[in-house]
Amino acid sequence: MMKTLSKNFILFWQGTLLSYRALFAWLRPVTYLASKIFMPLAQMFFFVFLGTYGSGSGSSDFYVIGNAIQITSVSGIFGVTFSVGGDRDAGTLPYLFGTPANRFMIFFGRAFMHVIDGAIGVVIALTWGVLLMGLDLSQTDLPALGLTILITTVSTCGLGLLMGCLSLLTANVMFVNNFVYFSLLIFSGANVPLARLPMWMQAISNILPLTRGIAASRALAAGSTLSEVSPLLLSEIGIGLIYGFLGYFLFAWFEMQAKRRGTLETV
Amino acid sequence: MNYGNLFKYWRTVLVVAEMSVRQQLNDGFIIFAIIFQPMIIAILGLFMLQGKGADYAMFVVVGSGLTGLWSSLLFISGNSITRERWSGTLESLVGMPTPFEVIVFGKNLANVFQSLLSMMTSYLLAAFLFGYSLSLTQPLLFFATLFLSMFAFICFGLTIAPVFVMYRSVQQWENAMEFPVYILCGFLFPIALLPDWTTPISYLLPPYWAAIALHGTSTAMLPFSQIAFAWGMMLIFSIVDLVIASQLFRIMLYKARVDATLDVD
Repeated sequence: MMKTLSKNFILFWQGTLLSYRALFAWLRPVTYLASKIFMPLAQMFFFVFLGTYGSGSGSSDFYVIGNAIQITSVSGIFGVTFSVGGDRDAGTLPYLFGTPANRFMIFFGRAFMHVIDGAIGVVIALTWGVLLMGLDLSQTDLPALGLTILITTVSTCGLGLLMGCLSLLTANVMFVNNFVYFSLLIFSGANVPLARLPMWMQAISNILPLTRGIAASRALAAGSTLSEVSPLLLSEIGIGLIYGFLGYFLFAWFEMQAKRRGTLETV
Repeated sequence: MNYGNLFKYWRTVLVVAEMSVRQQLNDGFIIFAIIFQPMIIAILGLFMLQGKGADYAMFVVVGSGLTGLWSSLLFISGNSITRERWSGTLESLVGMPTPFEVIVFGKNLANVFQSLLSMMTSYLLAAFLFGYSLSLTQPLLFFATLFLSMFAFICFGLTIAPVFVMYRSVQQWENAMEFPVYILCGFLFPIALLPDWTTPISYLLPPYWAAIALHGTSTAMLPFSQIAFAWGMMLIFSIVDLVIASQLFRIMLYKARVDATLDVD
């Protein structure tokens, strides 16, 4: 029993580390910084300026928090999707499906490093928000905010795992990823208060990750306690797990279909 | 780079442009960049700028269209030569009798032309989905500005493409260059919101002058003298870009034909 657990842990750890390194190790540090830090920050500043111009309000906290938390989807959507789908692009999918390794560990291992990466991205964005945009976190329970960031990142990576599986079924990975990523800017409430969206858009918002994480972060910044936002956080993690497990079942189905029909790399 | 070739080989320019459009409209990423991303930005703009005056919807349509133009210029025109390198056709294009600049100009023409879809999509979205009644206050001036803006964008693209192919350290910043230009060029909000030190940078960017003139002519925000000034700036920058592009193409072709290092460094 312990031996199996230990083997699975090693598999999980090696899978998570190697898939992350495969994604970024070939990049020069400057490219990594440009894609992972400067691009999301520039995007955040754009929407913060747009929002403060539109609202005419002196405070940009609503937009800084919303967009800083949304930055987690750079890792959650793009990073995780490329980690899962990368096996097909690199031609390693047949070998992966040929091993007796635990699929659950392989699959969820693809997201682990991106959870850490995404959470760090949010912290960097919030730091810039405090330093440059006057974000006020003086009333904030910072450990609770940290937990919220972690939960939101896990939840977004859950959606990324599902998207990663879809990337095994479609050739238009970049289209699908970008569409989901940018749609989150509308539907997650990062930039527009959900109450201002039409009902059908609110309904979509409610089944997406990020929405409750952003709401919880704003509430914490305004002085709420962890217990007050815990229902939001429980829903957020629940939604993320649903997406993650949907992705896992799709991954298992894809493997079964690919083996049965011989369509492993033909999509 | 001999710009006279563009007139001499005008048929080739058009054929290259047609081929580029056909090829690119099959690429999901390009479709996203020129249609869906500006559309999403337009939706956000329409929600976020609600109440910013009677002309705000037209302002958003033009601004989000400009984001599509810039993203297209950056990711498609910027990589118009790099893509040939990826597909292994760069050496053949450099070696064939048709001047290389003719090919690149045709590709840029196609990119800028097809990215006008961004503005059209945003217009349709605002008119039909959001129900705005949109009209151009100075249509003739607007279309004259659009023509000049396209020319300025093409010229800017001619400088970016050789820079990206020769200096990969610059191309590494490609992803990070998209939103800063949206910000610095005032596509969807005035640059007066930004710190003062950024203003000279905005003045050095041709898309800033395109934004000034397009917003000014679509919403009657500006007197004609200021629109004419923006036209003049676009023309000056276009000429400067063409001169710079000429030198860059010379260096690039030297690297390709004499050094034979275009594909390896």
